[in-house]
Amino acid sequence: MSVMTVPSSRADPRRIFKALASQEALLAIAVIGLAIAVGLYNPRFLAARNLSDVLLGNAYIAVAAIGMSMVIISGNIDISVGALIGVLATLSGTLAVKGVPIIVTWLAPLVAGILIMGLQGVVIAYLRIPAIVVTLGMLSILKGGLISVTGGKWITDLPDSFHLADLELLGSVPMPVFLMIAATILAAWWMHDSAPGRAIYAVGGNAEAARLCGISQPRTVVMVFALHGLFAGVAALLYATQLRVIQSTVPPNLELTVITASVVGGVSILGGVGTVIGSTLAAILIAEIASALVFIDLSPYWIRAVQGMLILATVIADILRRRRMTGA
Amino acid sequence: MRLGLAGALLGATLLAGTANAADKRWDGADDLPVNPLACAAGEAAAPAAAKPYDGGQPTNAPDKAGKPISLVDVPKLIGIGYFNATSKGMQDAAKELGNVTVKTDGPTEAKIDEQIKFIDNYITSGVDGILFAANDPVAIAPVLKKALSKGIHVIGYDANSTPDAREWFVNQAEFNGIAKAMIDSMAKEAGEDKGFAIVTSTFTTPNQARWIAEMWAYAEKCHPKLKWLETVEAQEDNNLSFNQATTLINKYGDRLSGLFGMTSVATPASAEAVTKAKLCGKVAVVGLATPNAMKPYVNADCVKSVVLWNPVDLGYAATYVARAVVDGKLKPGATSVDAGKLGKLNVVNGSEILLGAPFIFTKQNIKDFDF
Repeated sequence: MSVMTVPSSRADPRRIFKALASQEALLAIAVIGLAIAVGLYNPRFLAARNLSDVLLGNAYIAVAAIGMSMVIISGNIDISVGALIGVLATLSGTLAVKGVPIIVTWLAPLVAGILIMGLQGVVIAYLRIPAIVVTLGMLSILKGGLISVTGGKWITDLPDSFHLADLELLGSVPMPVFLMIAATILAAWWMHDSAPGRAIYAVGGNAEAARLCGISQPRTVVMVFALHGLFAGVAALLYATQLRVIQSTVPPNLELTVITASVVGGVSILGGVGTVIGSTLAAILIAEIASALVFIDLSPYWIRAVQGMLILATVIADILRRRRMTGA
Repeated sequence: MRLGLAGALLGATLLAGTANAADKRWDGADDLPVNPLACAAGEAAAPAAAKPYDGGQPTNAPDKAGKPISLVDVPKLIGIGYFNATSKGMQDAAKELGNVTVKTDGPTEAKIDEQIKFIDNYITSGVDGILFAANDPVAIAPVLKKALSKGIHVIGYDANSTPDAREWFVNQAEFNGIAKAMIDSMAKEAGEDKGFAIVTSTFTTPNQARWIAEMWAYAEKCHPKLKWLETVEAQEDNNLSFNQATTLINKYGDRLSGLFGMTSVATPASAEAVTKAKLCGKVAVVGLATPNAMKPYVNADCVKSVVLWNPVDLGYAATYVARAVVDGKLKPGATSVDAGKLGKLNVVNGSEILLGAPFIFTKQNIKDFDF
């Protein structure tokens, strides 16, 4: 049976994508509009170098937000991703310092990410424990474990060849930006056009209907979490290889920033709706705002407030839209 | 409608913020009184606001003046580069003095309960003196007082306890000393009339706010032409520090000749930002940091001065202080103590010995440190 026939108005793909096109267009307008507005105030903001730095320094957040969007669309949540990225970055750096072949140090965080997130998916899907509880537990385990194992000691002396984020493709495209764009396009295409990708929307939009259509909810949830782990691994790799020091601690508030990117990107906190193109645009917008605040001489205290308002505005808009839909 | 709502909120926020920014300087300094040091290179003693001695004293300590003594050193934890360095300084001092033996022993994790056990065991087994770097200033006090009550001398270094639980504390750096070293290095590397910006943790972090306040005061007094462009927050976050430093570089362009890193996280991240922008030699990076994190940048000639203190000297001074106390050469009310090759060290804040001017790691010496 095809997923396309899910008998729910909410999960009707045509309506979903119509609605989302506008969310993405809105974000794209915001990204460009903000750049122009700040550029009028301080033209240096529009320098190619600054715009590319904004992307470069925050690509890992957009990559992590791809996996997070899948998790939220499937009707779940994950608050352990920041801690996981910290752990995976440390794992990768530790291996690199030990002299393990570089390719292994790059693959290890991906594999470990898939395993740890997949495990959480299994617990959530088959033991039927709410995702927020499972991932909160994992957050503590990873955070505490990391401090206990490393003693908070930094990793320095990383080999030069380890720095994946320093590579450039075709002589000019930085690796983090390339990975961000490639991962976004691949994931968006896969979620839009493949049966397992569609199953994520079905499970998150209307689990009962999805089950009646022959979609295994537990299997879909495990798959989503495993994929989320993969993207977290890529994000950790970018995070670890950008600087010459790995802090061996959990990056503060990273999970919140990642969730913010997903939600502002139009991924519905109620599940079933959203795209990763939206979340990537939102990650870019948030990074752009952070940079813009410095350029327009505004206290950086505002960044959290602005992020908070973006979330509120998006969620309120989402709920109003749903009300309008179900009320109609 | 969605667009309108979001836009209105964002617009209102930005407007409100701009209005605020006009009358406030976001410099990240606190409002406490400042005490800038003299401009001259030599360490002019801070006009000590003669605080009376507030340390504790051992009861019936045996008189071992000039006789061999054995000390035990219980740092926060053992096995890390930093405390290996303090331990090395203690051995150096012991060798020089000839009548002191020091043994370093302590927990393998920075845990206060473990540290207390170690100290307690050494009180039982009997030593002449205890050197410590406290994992917790209050929690360690009872066991130190117990040592004092058994006639054991107690000297702190690196991390203090409450004053009455030890006789003296060797203080590695005062705020105005760090501030002077930072500003002097920046003026030397960037130029006397150049602009610089600061990457700090948060505007409310006490140590950083204190350092910045002292930097303001010292720069005003000794390098008045330096231009303070901006201070940005970066938490204690590697990537945020890097992004913020990069933004400052892009925002100010040629007007930016220097970046201060106020934390051991912000400094290497700022150096990385300057490296990535290919501005090594054009934008000076001066900051507080540990040598290992800075080696790549110092060795690549991108960073010339890393300000901190020398942990080898710190351990060395602590051992000399212990010897002076036993020999009766350092008594409550003293204003200085002789510390071998370090010369005379001043007493500050009642019962603290100031190690002296901060240590500056450079390409020549940074390879000798591993922490």
